[in-house]
Amino acid sequence: MATQFIANHNLAPLLVRLRQSAELHGPVRGDDGVVRFAAIAPGTLPDLSAVRTLLPPKKYLLHPQETILKYTVRAGYQMPVEDVHQIILFGLHPCDLAGINYLDRIFLDDEPDPLYVARRSVLALVGVSCSPDEFCSCHQLTSPLKALFDLFFNVVEGGFVVTSGSARGDELLEKVKDLLEERVVAVPEDARRFFGHAAAEATRPEPDATLPEWRELASRCLGCGACSICCPTCYCFDVLEFCGLDNCSASRVRQWDNCLFKGHAEVAGGMTFRKDKAERFRYRYRHKYRGFGLSQGIPSCVGCGRCRAVCPAGLDLRPLAERLEGGQRE
Amino acid sequence: MKKLRIAIAGLTACSGCQLSLLNCEDELPVLLEMFDFQFFPMATSPALLADEYDAALVEGCISMPHEKELLQELRRRSRYLIALGTCAACGGVAALRNGDGRELLRQQVYGHSPVADETFDPIPLQSLVKVDAVVTGCPPEKEELLRMLAGLLRGALPVGIDYPVCTECRMRENLCLLTERDALCLGPLTLGGCGARCPSLSVPCEGCRGPVPEANLVEALEVYAQKGFDRTAVIGRLRRFCPEWKL
Repeated sequence: MATQFIANHNLAPLLVRLRQSAELHGPVRGDDGVVRFAAIAPGTLPDLSAVRTLLPPKKYLLHPQETILKYTVRAGYQMPVEDVHQIILFGLHPCDLAGINYLDRIFLDDEPDPLYVARRSVLALVGVSCSPDEFCSCHQLTSPLKALFDLFFNVVEGGFVVTSGSARGDELLEKVKDLLEERVVAVPEDARRFFGHAAAEATRPEPDATLPEWRELASRCLGCGACSICCPTCYCFDVLEFCGLDNCSASRVRQWDNCLFKGHAEVAGGMTFRKDKAERFRYRYRHKYRGFGLSQGIPSCVGCGRCRAVCPAGLDLRPLAERLEGGQRE
Repeated sequence: MKKLRIAIAGLTACSGCQLSLLNCEDELPVLLEMFDFQFFPMATSPALLADEYDAALVEGCISMPHEKELLQELRRRSRYLIALGTCAACGGVAALRNGDGRELLRQQVYGHSPVADETFDPIPLQSLVKVDAVVTGCPPEKEELLRMLAGLLRGALPVGIDYPVCTECRMRENLCLLTERDALCLGPLTLGGCGARCPSLSVPCEGCRGPVPEANLVEALEVYAQKGFDRTAVIGRLRRFCPEWKL
């Protein structure tokens, strides 16, 4: 079948073209060696060789710390107005696309979050295929999540096969069509990673609270928070309220939280639902591999490997998940 | 509205915490409008204890008898007593050599002069009086001080932080100095709230904000050992700001 093919040497001109309609962001390697999603400087290419960025693309949708409500005696309650502009996020791997798909379910489907809605509406998602490394598990676990994209670039010999996944993607393709050629190229069939071979949403029993693994994980965890901060689907946040020094204004702030922290399940009066860190690990596991509440049956782990790559203690929920979820190895 | 009556005192410390407050130049006018700094020897005179206070903010640890008296006096007169900075919260740098033997230290520093005869091993505030809240740091962040004061206007004490420096360091998407540079970064054990100020400048965390709740020292020592740091070196570094750290 004929596909839209773009040769490697046409990538730079394509990016120039994309930049005309929006800010262009993608994986950029800093002087410190860290790869981050950031604005791609004109005349440079994104680092498409990197397996993962340190922070996932969720940082474009939910900021680590942000004001979600303001109050003044004069104006009453005011929602923040988000100053948004079009951003093309280039170079998202299927796991990160699936991660955004998960966040969409949480922040768009149920009770739409105004800040998320505003930021999501200006984001064009351009995926690029990748090869998993030793930290990845996208190829081991099946998921009902999908890698939804506006454009997707499948890496093939000498270039990319480009597919549009939306009207926005069609528009973008239209702008660059002179750089594309129709060519018959075999695209590697990738059944594992969020492309239409979705697993059904499954309801499973509660993970066994008496497993020794919960305690082992708890005893080794440093509590640094990196696993959730760097997770593309961890969206738990804490809400704090601060009053102004003028004594007639206040702001409500939300910031990323981690379910392994002492305060995550703490309520008024210092009571906590999960006093013990082992219980917190079981909770984390449930959210990552089983889902609960409205996301019951939807595992939120997309297998990007960030939690394992960044954990200073080298903790990994994956072996347990392989055992309990009956993950399929290639 | 009646202004809140505030006492601010410095015990054994460098006065840096009080200075941090005075450095909030943009906010000083509104602070003076909302608060009556009735006792603040570093900034106002005369400095006489003459009233009751809605809150006393105390910097520094206790190492001399007159500091004990002042602290107890402030406690008696104040609705809230708030420890300002790591010295007040944990003992801090002044308590660095606690355990080395008071007599030896006295002779090394003062020789045979009687000047230091009355000093004793520095102790944090809560070992002597009830402390209602702690704003830690060396010095505390300006924003934390201002938020604490603003909270007092509504009768609220600051909410304790439960996460370490690493959390904010990751939020800032910094290179991890511990895992990627094998540096003795104390981030995982140290209370956050500073926005990972030092690691963001590629300087390993020195632990100046004291221990995070639920600090996992045992496992952290394992991780540091894998990076080539023995236990004594790590504990020594941790104890610079908080003598409570023990093997």
